[in-house]
Amino acid sequence: MDIFSRRDFLKLTNRALLTLSGLLGLGGLLRFLGYQGEEAPATEFDVGLSENYPLNSTTILPDVPAVLEHTAAGFSAMSLTCTHLGCTVEQDGEGYLCPCHGSRYDSDGQVEHGPATEPLPPLKVELEADGELKVSLS
Amino acid sequence: MRPNFFHHLHPPTIPAKQSRWRYTLGAGGIAVFLSLVLLVTGALEMFYYIPTQAEAAQSIQTISYLVPFGGLVRNLHFWAAQLLLIVVAVHLVRVVFTGAYTPPRRFNYLLGLALFILSILLDFTGYILRWDQGIQWALVVGTNLLKTIPWIGESLYRLLIGGAELGDATLIRFYAWHIVGLILLASILGIWHLFRVRRDGGVALPPPNLRADHERISRFELVRREVLAMIFVSAALLLLAAFVPAPIAPPITELTAISGDVRAPWFFLWVQEMLKWGDPFFWGILVPLFMLVLLAIIPYFFPQPAEHEIGSWFPKSNRLAQIVVAVLASAVLVLTLIE
Ligand code: HEM
Ligand code: FES
Repeated sequence: MDIFSRRDFLKLTNRALLTLSGLLGLGGLLRFLGYQGEEAPATEFDVGLSENYPLNSTTILPDVPAVLEHTAAGFSAMSLTCTHLGCTVEQDGEGYLCPCHGSRYDSDGQVEHGPATEPLPPLKVELEADGELKVSLS
Repeated sequence: MRPNFFHHLHPPTIPAKQSRWRYTLGAGGIAVFLSLVLLVTGALEMFYYIPTQAEAAQSIQTISYLVPFGGLVRNLHFWAAQLLLIVVAVHLVRVVFTGAYTPPRRFNYLLGLALFILSILLDFTGYILRWDQGIQWALVVGTNLLKTIPWIGESLYRLLIGGAELGDATLIRFYAWHIVGLILLASILGIWHLFRVRRDGGVALPPPNLRADHERISRFELVRREVLAMIFVSAALLLLAAFVPAPIAPPITELTAISGDVRAPWFFLWVQEMLKWGDPFFWGILVPLFMLVLLAIIPYFFPQPAEHEIGSWFPKSNRLAQIVVAVLASAVLVLTLIE
């Protein structure tokens, strides 16, 4: 009977309620800070008229960032965002080098050495009716 | 006169050893002084700083080059922040190397560790406020690192940057953390830390019967030493501020553009070096977290300093703690230097 007195019980209840209100408050704070206004970051980029990119040319599009290639097979694009932690890679000889932690990719975006483990992903390129090119992420 | 917080921290007399430079290095006190300098200079900067992507870097240029004494205020803020990190690290090392964390001071050791982390976060958020090409990649890498945390990473990322993409919402969040959130936490913990120093009996010494040296000094002598330290630190700050300006680069134009500095701020260079070694979650998050936990458990699970050795340098009894801290500190130092 003495093992768990009335006083212990009240103390425990008190602690439990305090902890609970603390957690509720923290949960509320997280929800408050977690509000997202505008969703949808830009995923499509108008990169101008297709004539600006002649056959057999490779062009860096710094705003995307991506590299746009025009071959006999048509237009293709590859992301230039390092798959390690998101720095923009730089052209380095045939391939690409990330200045942040030194990942190297070959000209097709395959990893030559890490720390990155994933290749640079290809991007979708669309040619609109009015001759405008559109590059979209994903 | 009614005793106040100043009297609480300055009893009429204290053992002389508690305020010897060669024991405490004055590091804790200097950290308090630097924090006050930061509060004042930071508050002044707030009158000109504009936390928007378009105007942040520009407003800092205005402070630096146009506002009378603005350059001085900004440079003092910058250098006080950098010195604070160094001084707090020295303070931590001193506490471990003199075995000053034994009961009843274990809890205050944890408060100090939390203050160290808060100082790092304050320095990083302040650095991001520049929103110039110098901070661009540190921001991208630092926030993307959060995403690598399993389960909660993505939500944590959005919570921190205020959306799905870096932008104005990100800058205003860093600003709010820098001038309110982190400052509030640091002030509460900081005052608590000081309060506990006295409550735990002042700077750590062996119990009175084991003390060799019974000399005591008065409150006035203590204050004299504090003022002396403030004068030296102020002189160092003024010299640095006068001759080495805080960096500022052109504003960020495109968050994806290849430009600017890819180096992390100096206090994160060691992490940047480790990120080259492989899995970002492991090297960038788990390893630093493990180091922090290791520091936190020293007073609880490591061999304790013997009572008669408390407050002398390099006690034999807590060798293990000293070795761990020495290894961690040298590792961070070496990684910083090779990066
Ligand atoms: C431990 C405390 C603090 C640390 C470690 C710290 C650190 C920093 C750092 C490293 C910067 C960038 C400095 C630069 O590039 O010039 C900065 C900027 C800034 N800080 Fe602090 N700060 C602290 C306290 C405060 C306080 C208390 C305030 C205001 C009440 C404040 C307001 C500002 C403002 C407005 C800026 C932007 C202007 C600028 O970058 O020059 N800071 N802080
Ligand atoms: S972000 Fe490219 S190597 Fe780390």
